[in-house]
Amino acid sequence: MTTKTRYFVIASLLVMGVGLGTGLVAYYVGLPMGAFQRRGGPEELQFIPRDATVIAFANVQEVMNSELRQKIRRVVPMQENGQREFENQTGINIETDIDRVVASLNPDPDSTNVPGAGMVLARGRFDEVKIEALMRDHGAQVEDYKTKRLIVADLPATAPPVSASGLSVAFLEPGLVAVGSTKLIRRAIDLHQSGDNPQTGLQSVTGNEELMNLVRSLDGGNVWAVGRFDALTSQAHLPQNVSGQLPAITWFSVSGRVNGGIRGMIRAEARDDEAANNLRDVVRGFMALAKMQTGSRPELQAMMQSFELGGTGKTVALSFAVPAEVFDMVPGASRKMPAPKPPVH
Amino acid sequence: MTQPETPRVTPTVFASSARVFDLSLGQMLWSRRSVFLGLLLGGPVLLALALRVVSVLYASGFRINGAQAAGASVFGMMIWLLYIRFIVPVLGVFYGTSLIADEVDDKTITYLFTRPIPRRAVLFGKFLAYLVCTVLLVLPSVLLVFFLIVPIGGSSIGEAFPPLLSDLAMLAVGLTAYGAVFALVGTRLTRPLIVGLVFAFGWEPAVLLFPGYLKRLTVAYYLQALVKHEMPQDSTVSVLLQVFREVPSISTSVLALALIVGVTLWLAGRAVEQREFVLDQ
Repeated sequence: MTTKTRYFVIASLLVMGVGLGTGLVAYYVGLPMGAFQRRGGPEELQFIPRDATVIAFANVQEVMNSELRQKIRRVVPMQENGQREFENQTGINIETDIDRVVASLNPDPDSTNVPGAGMVLARGRFDEVKIEALMRDHGAQVEDYKTKRLIVADLPATAPPVSASGLSVAFLEPGLVAVGSTKLIRRAIDLHQSGDNPQTGLQSVTGNEELMNLVRSLDGGNVWAVGRFDALTSQAHLPQNVSGQLPAITWFSVSGRVNGGIRGMIRAEARDDEAANNLRDVVRGFMALAKMQTGSRPELQAMMQSFELGGTGKTVALSFAVPAEVFDMVPGASRKMPAPKPPVH
Repeated sequence: MTQPETPRVTPTVFASSARVFDLSLGQMLWSRRSVFLGLLLGGPVLLALALRVVSVLYASGFRINGAQAAGASVFGMMIWLLYIRFIVPVLGVFYGTSLIADEVDDKTITYLFTRPIPRRAVLFGKFLAYLVCTVLLVLPSVLLVFFLIVPIGGSSIGEAFPPLLSDLAMLAVGLTAYGAVFALVGTRLTRPLIVGLVFAFGWEPAVLLFPGYLKRLTVAYYLQALVKHEMPQDSTVSVLLQVFREVPSISTSVLALALIVGVTLWLAGRAVEQREFVLDQ
């Protein structure tokens, strides 16, 4: 063997050794990827407590201005009345005042509510005085909590139980309102004031590496949600025969980009490779059935062709694209619609 | 006083193969064919680098159907489309068929066959050199692609590592099996390259498309059963492949591939021992 060949063999073995060694270290003790990766996700995540089981995001402006939304407005015009009522109640015009929302569900040990406690963080343009006055008119109480004004709503007895601690609204900073469980709002204020402090048990969801990895993978969508499927089902107290039929999924994520149509991806992480294979088989079966059913409908065929099953190991991924033409099939969707009104500030 | 002459001992097949391997590895690595091999294996690495740069520079990253693709899925797709369906069969065809044919074309086979070593050791030594040469190039290329692609979209290197190990083992097995089959083709037939290309890119993909037993006469049928990644549905052909895909068990596949390697190498060795190689003047 010549020296040149020997050097080549050594270099090649070195690359393999380093690669496999790094992989082994990553497998057994994890690899600190923070230096190489973006934190990912919207900045509001830093106000959501670490134990969140579900996080959802929507870029309201993009969705509201999308061609799809205009089509839906043609089909369901009464939604406008609902929006107007919401505006009268809160002083917030969803179309123009909210830029984006981040919602979370966290376990609530003091409550028997199925999904736990919830919170919505909305960023946009809000008239704080008007909103506070409107809520006071509806019986809300205002408390001071760490220099922030916490507006605790007076919920009617018939209202659905939001949380054992009640419903509150707080303006964390100009242009950022938090609405939801009082307990969660207090923790959001704590996180806003002090930031992450794991020693005191105060940590935001950005420190939850497992969940943030999923969030990072969805960064491009204008609507998405990620969550722990097993945590949700365990809180749901389902009957044994129902819970036994559910797929063995630990994490799920749904991501979409709404514009003319919807492009998206549904991803599930199964408990093990076998569960993932079973889930893939089920999805594949449904896809084949759906493709057969839509064989005679060309407008649906494009959508069905876009369905692609993927994923490796424990991950099952299904990507899809619903073209704008699909929504034309809804009666009334093809009607001409007047141009949307310019936003009122 | 004259010393008694020591009888000349013919070296064993193993020792002879090792010697031929030692000579052939350097020849194989620094041949013109290696430029082709470098381009073939540099392609996926460059592609992975480009995808990584895109994912770093643009927040939206690399997308499939509008959704940001997870690095582990992209890596699985690359293993299927680039390595299993293209690189491994191509390397097998180009290197396997030329193991003996090159020596015949260069008219150097006589020098090897006149050495006091078993003729089949020439084939085995060259086959070993092919295997080491391709494995030392393919596996580092896969590792580089893995580390460039998997972190995209937040996939975890730790979680993707066990499937990587099976990918590496599967690729090594694939190179061995294809190399052995095409070594047999190279020793038996006069136009081995054409036959090899027809087998790898005509017969195998065509037979896998249809239901029936014919697919058992391919290497791909058993090799693809060892792949842990989901088969991509990039075209109508892929969808058909998925529909008619029968997946043999891993033990069946490994056993069948071992049988293919053993039988084809034995037949190739036998052909080298028996065939009269006629050199063009």
